[in-house]
Amino acid sequence: MSLLDLSDLAIQAGELSLVDGVTLDVHPGEIVALVGESGSGKSLTALSIVDLLGEGLRVTRGSRRFDGADLTPKRLRKLRGQDIAMIFQEPVSSLNPLMPVGAQVAESLIVHGTASESEAQSAAIDMLRRVGIPDPDRRATQLPAELSGGMCQRVMIAAALISRPRLLIADEPTTALDVTIQAQILSLIRDLTREQGTAVLLITHDMGVVAEMADRVCVMYGGRVVEQGAVHDLFAAPRHPYTDMLLRTMPRPDDPPKEPLFAIKGSVPGPRDWPSGCRFRSRCPRADAACTERPPLQGDGHRAACFHPMRPT
Amino acid sequence: MSAALAFRPRTLAAWWPAGLLAALVACAILAPWLAPMDPDRQNLMARLKAPGFEARGALYLLGSDELGRDVLSRVIHGARVSIVVAVSSVLLSGVVGVAVGMLAAYLRGWVETVLMRLVDIFLSIPAILLAIITVAVLGPGFINVILVLALTRWPRYARVAYGQTLALADRPFVRLSRAMGASTPRVLALHILPNIIGPLLVVATLEFGLMVLFEAGLSFLGLGVQPPMASWGAMLSTGRNYIATAWWIATFPGLALFLLVLSANLIGDRLGDLIGKGR
Ligand SMILES: Nc1ncnc2c1ncn2[C@@H]1O[C@H](COP(=O)(O)OP(=O)(O)O)[C@@H](O)[C@H]1O
Ligand code: SF4
Ligand SMILES: [Mg+2]
Repeated sequence: MSLLDLSDLAIQAGELSLVDGVTLDVHPGEIVALVGESGSGKSLTALSIVDLLGEGLRVTRGSRRFDGADLTPKRLRKLRGQDIAMIFQEPVSSLNPLMPVGAQVAESLIVHGTASESEAQSAAIDMLRRVGIPDPDRRATQLPAELSGGMCQRVMIAAALISRPRLLIADEPTTALDVTIQAQILSLIRDLTREQGTAVLLITHDMGVVAEMADRVCVMYGGRVVEQGAVHDLFAAPRHPYTDMLLRTMPRPDDPPKEPLFAIKGSVPGPRDWPSGCRFRSRCPRADAACTERPPLQGDGHRAACFHPMRPT
Repeated sequence: MSAALAFRPRTLAAWWPAGLLAALVACAILAPWLAPMDPDRQNLMARLKAPGFEARGALYLLGSDELGRDVLSRVIHGARVSIVVAVSSVLLSGVVGVAVGMLAAYLRGWVETVLMRLVDIFLSIPAILLAIITVAVLGPGFINVILVLALTRWPRYARVAYGQTLALADRPFVRLSRAMGASTPRVLALHILPNIIGPLLVVATLEFGLMVLFEAGLSFLGLGVQPPMASWGAMLSTGRNYIATAWWIATFPGLALFLLVLSANLIGDRLGDLIGKGR
């Protein structure tokens, strides 16, 4: 049974549709990547799971289920921080600038009354050690400003995983970090979650990260899922023209360096400019008259929403 | 190292308003021991005597008033009234205003609409009118002055707390703490309040000076602290009648008032500069 189950999720800002019919599931212990260019609705999808959409944004359709039951606000109060944890993109601004990092790591234990103040503090120091922070006793008493960006991201991972959640939602956890640190943080997330059996919904715009980390992948474009499936299926035989393009933008080690990187033609249109029917229509080389209708997600296991897929389903 | 040492006396010197304020607060606290006489004891044989007058071993250093009370002792005790009224009203209006502003900004929706509309309404009523109406209803008196001041001033804190909270509520760390299960009171008290306390302290310091003036004004008009309690405003009010013949009755409480307000305002400005630099 799936741990997280989003079905036909739609999010609007007033009348403006931002996310339209996202269907996605995450099984216990697996890593699912949610991938797409900036503005495709990944963060909104993630925030809607924990019911933290900002002012003016509403879920207008669809269901969000965790462990087989609807994610009601009441249930979420218990699940947040305990069974579902989150990591954001900006490690430094995601920490309270005036609170020692140890206390911030311990926060979820204290909030949920799982541990006493002193137990939580020593659990936090343990956790800081596990995420590879040297001298955790001293570091625990420091403020975020005294730590580097990579350290802060480790602190956030520690805070997220201290309560051994069953699902970790990581929204572009390495985008703001140096390339050299990115790989370390990713393997840290992978190793720790494997170790404790935590499932991960990993949001990224980087196909390289998907290849390295995920079991399954869900590709979004214009607030919709355009293709989903097991990572090796999708990488070996992408069906949606958008996925195909994303994969071709990936730098490969065997690429001749003089060859310019393939880039997707045109820029992502904003939510106000999405075309009717297939939203990728304005950039798709295969588009024709049929594409003015909305393509349904088709296939079994490996699914794509396209009238003229790169390969037959 | 030597540069740091060279700078120290200058930075310390720049904080002289804090020293002045501390001295005035010390006067207020130690009033019964510092004041040479009972501030309310009348001596009809020593009315309207000039500073330095001495009678039967009692020295009236700053002169005596129309009832023969020692002006110095009354000024020292007046510091008590001024500071206690100002601190209490700042605390009361601050707590109410900050709570209102933070809740409005954090909860949004109809709570925000109702609370901030209320703030606008209160801000649009002239403070002195509101004060007069309130005194008319409650009657004058020490406690009522505090209530009146708090009632007129809380919207100022609400505005500042509202703006600051609004700017913070969408910051990732606030979102994250909610995503980690922190309740609304916990988020407000632990994550937002410490991060907005700086600007609020600046407002509170400046408001303190204003409250001192306000209390003096109300007492001057007879709407504030009632006689015989020593209040600078009330002393100014009586002193006004004797300004041609006994200038000291109004001058010394006026000077004390000036120093207290000045020190509060200078400290407030300085804090504001410091916070401005920190941002
Ligand atoms: N409060 C909002 N009001 C209107 N539009 C919004 C709001 N929040 C996000 N959006 C828009 O929704 C789209 C999807 O945003 P987001 O989920 O953050 O994308 P991603 O995380 O994939 O980059 C973007 O075009 C963004 O501009
Ligand atoms: S449905 Fe048409 S426009 Fe959309 S991706 Fe497929 S071919 Fe392109
Ligand atoms: Mg995003």
